[in-house]
Amino acid sequence: MSWVLAWACIFTLPGLFIGSLGWMKPGRFSVLGPAALLACSVAWLLGGRETLVIRLDGWLPFVADGSFELRVDALAVLMLGILGVVALCVYVYTLAYMADDTGIRRFYAFLDFFVAAMALLVTAGNLAVLLIGWTGVGMASYFLISFWRDREGTLYAGLQAIAANAVGDGALILAAVLLPAGCGNLTTLQSAACGSGVGGAALIGGLLVVAASAKSAQGPLYFWLPSAMAGPTPISALIHAATMVAAGVYLLVRVHLLLALTPLLLLAIAILGVATAIFGAVMSLLQSNLKKGLAYSTVSQLGYMFAAVGFSAPFAAFFHLGSQAFFKALLFLSAGVVIHAIGGSEELSSMGGLGRHLPFARWTFLIGSISLFGVPFTAGFFSKDAIVEASGGRLLGWALVATALLSGMYIGRLYFATFEGPRRSEDHLHEPREPRAMAWSLLPLAAGALLFGYTQWPEGGLAQTLRPVLGAVETQPLFTFQGGLAALLGLVGFVGAGLWSMRQAMPERAPGSGWVRWASDASLALAGGFASAQNGRLGRYAVITVLGFAAILFAGLRA
Amino acid sequence: MTAEAVVLLTSAAIFALGATGVLLRRNPVAVLMCVELMLNAANLLLVLGSHVQGNDAGQATALIVLVIAAAEAVVGLGLALVLFHHREPADIDEPRTVRG
Repeated sequence: MSWVLAWACIFTLPGLFIGSLGWMKPGRFSVLGPAALLACSVAWLLGGRETLVIRLDGWLPFVADGSFELRVDALAVLMLGILGVVALCVYVYTLAYMADDTGIRRFYAFLDFFVAAMALLVTAGNLAVLLIGWTGVGMASYFLISFWRDREGTLYAGLQAIAANAVGDGALILAAVLLPAGCGNLTTLQSAACGSGVGGAALIGGLLVVAASAKSAQGPLYFWLPSAMAGPTPISALIHAATMVAAGVYLLVRVHLLLALTPLLLLAIAILGVATAIFGAVMSLLQSNLKKGLAYSTVSQLGYMFAAVGFSAPFAAFFHLGSQAFFKALLFLSAGVVIHAIGGSEELSSMGGLGRHLPFARWTFLIGSISLFGVPFTAGFFSKDAIVEASGGRLLGWALVATALLSGMYIGRLYFATFEGPRRSEDHLHEPREPRAMAWSLLPLAAGALLFGYTQWPEGGLAQTLRPVLGAVETQPLFTFQGGLAALLGLVGFVGAGLWSMRQAMPERAPGSGWVRWASDASLALAGGFASAQNGRLGRYAVITVLGFAAILFAGLRA
Repeated sequence: MTAEAVVLLTSAAIFALGATGVLLRRNPVAVLMCVELMLNAANLLLVLGSHVQGNDAGQATALIVLVIAAAEAVVGLGLALVLFHHREPADIDEPRTVRG
């Protein structure tokens, strides 16, 4: 089974090519790709669980370790399994969601490419292969975010994703080049010997953190993720759950021993994560758009995972990655049902009181919400608790407990403003039913959002499976004081914000006070300064190029 | 003046001619032709180097450059042709609406 899984990156490619030929109904064949991914991952977990490394030497001679190396181990297979579940649900969901769209065939081709790139990223055994998947995932998200090319702002949103990714890709390439020979491998990378090259473990680790925070929308590189909402909703679910943003956390979990060589770097990651968690939660409270509210919620949840990496608890980070994948995909897909039903609007001001018409979407959204703010014994409760526990009672951990209040508030606001209270818009429902393919694909995700947390206990559970990769993890108690406190805070926030938002009219746009506007003007002016260099005047580019060459020649002749 | 020096100076002159054209001309087709001129100047230099050093690597590279130049000319001229069909641009900076 390991042999098959090592080539997981080609599972969705038959769907891509056959789907593009146009023989079958769009998407019908593509669905087999993620299904195969899921089936093979489950078979590996049930079967021998053997670790496999495939290595073809001399592939990229110009980097330190340029062999083509694939690696199948417990971490990779679990990630592939999560990818398989979420992608399968998204594929089935898309059959109904995009049924009326003329570009559905193109959409499935992009989806297949997306999943293939992510699978390559997950099974990569060294940095050279990882880079391909890494860039492929970024490209695919650009295609998909800009999918509706004729709508205003989609190209711009896609370009933002490319811009943030370029920063991350640059950092990763720099790390790959700086590494001493023989250290490109993702497992030997973590040895102390590999940290002794140029700049040492701190520089390499720092570059990897920059790369990961570009992919996972942390700190100042968060900006592309809310803009990515310009894409179709199924894509938002996929990007936010199992592909794009998961890649950064996955990389950090993979190289956690390298990061652990520099305690200061770990502290920086923890602070970055906690700050982003709080920032995302506050920003989510200010959104007037349902999907943007969920997007900032993802930024916040990813902050939790970064914090877990910073607390040297890679298992907790991966655990939360898994449960976030379930509940966030669920939230996005049920939000998609709502958006589909009211005819494409995403504004909270056109929603309200929809729970009566869309019972299925309401209950699944509610399940996703309670898992998100951590009602006891749901998936989110256990995984967040694992992170808080890992903080070892530091102030940063208590900050995360307090963030639970904000989490409850923003998700409560979104839930109640969408499904409860009076209807804010007079428009009739565009399509009052919930299509069957959409409803069914929500069920496995809802089950995951409720039950994923229990996978850590039984014999051969999550912690035990990951022990060869991540080291031993203490088993968590079923209930802790901090977890209970966080859940209580979340519940208070959820109900409080819900009661408040049902009576409140939703703002048309996010409010902007004096200093916010000042900051935005300043950054716009700065951006304008940079943009004036990119004016599209070919002649000027050519002059600068010639001058540059002349300078190089001159310097060369002098030397 | 040796034969090598003559070829070297010719190559430099052609390159300078091409570069000047790229910098000064505004007509898209003229700019494309000037780029081709620069590529061919580089080719000449590659062949000369191959002759001086007495190995074939330079000639092989020149062949690769020829193929790439042909491919580039196909794409470039194709674009220019479509643009001319659309409306005749007198200025290479004019067609900006095709930007994403």
